[in-house]
Amino acid sequence: MQLATVAMLLVATTVAACGDGGDDDATASAPKAPATIPELTTDPLTLSFIWFDWPPAQALEAFANAEYKKERPNATIKVNTVPNANWHDAMFTQFAARKTDFDIAILDSQHIGEAVTNGNILDITDFVKNNIDVEAYNPYLLAAYGQFPQAETGQRDENASLYGLPLLGDTWTMIYRKDLIGDQPPQTWDEMISVAEKCQADNPGVSGLAFHQANGSDAAAVTYNTVNGVYGGNLWDPKTRKIDGILNDAAGHEAMDVLVNKMKPLTARGSGNWFIDEVNAAVAQGKACIAFNWIAASGGLLDPKESTLGSTREQILDKLGFATLPSQKTNLVPLGGMGMHVSAYSAEANQVEALNFMKWFQRADIQKKWAAAGGVPSRTDALASPEFLNAGPFNQVYADSVPRMRDMWNVPEYARLVDIENTNVNAALNGAKSPKAALDDIAKEQQSVLDSSSRRGGGGL
Amino acid sequence: MSDPVLTTDAGQVAAGPPPAPGRFRRLSDRGLAVAFISPALLLLLAMSVFPLLWALYLSFTDYSATRGGRAYFVGFGNYTAILTSAQVHQRALTTLIYVVGAVTLQTVLGFTIAYLISRRTHGRGLLTTLFLVPMMLSPVVVGLFWRFMLDAQFGVINSMLGSLGLGQVEWLTRQRTALISLIVVDTWQWTPFIMLIALAGLTAVPKYLYEAASIDRASEWFRFRTITLPLVWPLLLIAVLFRAIEAFRLFDLVYILTNGGPGVSTETLSFHVYKVAFLGFNTGTASAYGILMVLVVIVLSQIYLRYLNRLKEG
Repeated sequence: MQLATVAMLLVATTVAACGDGGDDDATASAPKAPATIPELTTDPLTLSFIWFDWPPAQALEAFANAEYKKERPNATIKVNTVPNANWHDAMFTQFAARKTDFDIAILDSQHIGEAVTNGNILDITDFVKNNIDVEAYNPYLLAAYGQFPQAETGQRDENASLYGLPLLGDTWTMIYRKDLIGDQPPQTWDEMISVAEKCQADNPGVSGLAFHQANGSDAAAVTYNTVNGVYGGNLWDPKTRKIDGILNDAAGHEAMDVLVNKMKPLTARGSGNWFIDEVNAAVAQGKACIAFNWIAASGGLLDPKESTLGSTREQILDKLGFATLPSQKTNLVPLGGMGMHVSAYSAEANQVEALNFMKWFQRADIQKKWAAAGGVPSRTDALASPEFLNAGPFNQVYADSVPRMRDMWNVPEYARLVDIENTNVNAALNGAKSPKAALDDIAKEQQSVLDSSSRRGGGGL
Repeated sequence: MSDPVLTTDAGQVAAGPPPAPGRFRRLSDRGLAVAFISPALLLLLAMSVFPLLWALYLSFTDYSATRGGRAYFVGFGNYTAILTSAQVHQRALTTLIYVVGAVTLQTVLGFTIAYLISRRTHGRGLLTTLFLVPMMLSPVVVGLFWRFMLDAQFGVINSMLGSLGLGQVEWLTRQRTALISLIVVDTWQWTPFIMLIALAGLTAVPKYLYEAASIDRASEWFRFRTITLPLVWPLLLIAVLFRAIEAFRLFDLVYILTNGGPGVSTETLSFHVYKVAFLGFNTGTASAYGILMVLVVIVLSQIYLRYLNRLKEG
């Protein structure tokens, strides 16, 4: 009898708690940031970021504490990092709790849709209008890192809302062994494969290619998207939200065939779970003729302490060359990098400080300093500045790649779409699925996610 | 000077003066028990029962934790979707292969090691302690440690195989070897658990049974088959139950070693629930998935326990 009473009480409590679900309107869109920065506090304050663990995160913390403190001595910058594979979960589980231990989320461009539709980040459109010179930016980069919905053209829509500002630009660079394949990098994708094949045959123990193939994050997906773009394929039709029939068209299948049947045999055995660090390790240990990696993660390759290619930076640069990706039917390259986005659940004083930081960070002089400190800017003046171009041998590659960039789908369903693509491409690369089946499965499953996103119940598998 | 000792009517001895009249006088034994137990009970209800009921409720809705808003009732839609999903069936098969493979291997190895240790008179304690080390490590540490060991290019396992003139094996990136690798790593970590319980059973076998058997000149195999195994078997089956439940929930090793790959070939049910819950934030579906997994464990455990009880009665 007493047990039954306790059970009934629990059920009643549960039902009562469920009734307090909030209303849909409250989370339909992001809350707005003030158009002008309100009065800043003079009390000691820690401005927290969240990012994944890689060299730019440490560079940002060091740079911001050194430079921002000159203007705001009471502010301390803390960049919290998590492993790359946990990055999305670490941010969005906190967003789900409606409470964050970070003030600025560094979101991938494709995460913006999910954060905006859930009301997790501030709408900074008015703030940008009043405080940021938008004309100073490459419009595609500004759109990619801050705008939602993403413009169909990929260019910035002046009337669209902005939710973030660029923090770090990025794309892939081709890293090649000058001592093994010569000073001239291959110009086409087919030529690159031939050169890698010959290099591998001529140099036992060195693999022709090294690239991202891992199952986690967006590793294998970006690799396929890159080859897909170069071979003239499309990821989807954003107007009709169609993926099936577009991703897996003739160009898409050709790209998958090139990736699995021509490129994969030139990689090291067991490299099917390689991501950024493993590719860098292969290059640094002289185990790859040609490799592809994100530019922002390539700085360590020039560190003699981590390389077997030379005992000085110059010796390493005698052997390593950095070039833009080869073209084939098109010259597209993947867009990487991230923007800064203010958490809607951060304390008001911290939100104000975050806006002030963003305004400060986007100044022309600060962007040049950031470039010199190892950052990759998005302002056109900073991109063309000697501070940036002389800071690293791959920075010119980035500047040349900006007009060639293509992003993925910036939609709220991104996390599931990229997981589908990643697992299937990884399966194809590791012999668990045929290339054709993998691509058809990606298209079918992704289409199902897009189609079911507006339906209720029974979804999400 | 001590307080006077008082003797009650019932002859019991009580120390100190009688309790002051007031509300404490009315506190019966039962009331006292409730007062002591209720904080722990409330904590248990809040931390365990309430989330379970909450998850049960959400499993009938289309609720999403990140989207927030109202949770709309979808009846058994989530359950139907899960039970009819080919993806879920595939993960269930992977999990089953893993559980059967890992638990069988651990049981055989664990019992063998325990049997060999139990026959030793010297160094038994040291050996037992050494064998227990893997079990004491965090699964994350074990995962990272084995990830490096099994790396096809730089791993020590392939290096050893190479020095023996054998070829390289892609332990973590091929469909068959990836699942075998998971089973091997889990076996490395959890065989000591079976060993520990088996050792407890083996040392509890009365010595006079062996003495009687040796007087009868019974063979080693006969002693093992008719004395050792029947007496240790029930305890071993309990260890198997614990390990099977644990293995059914496997997440951490998959996450670190293979991330479910290649493709989804090592994606277990728990790992898939994680993806449903945190990549798509389909909280309602993930709740239904979790409830179904709990039900499966409860039902299978009940069948198993009944078998154990019958064994005990027999």
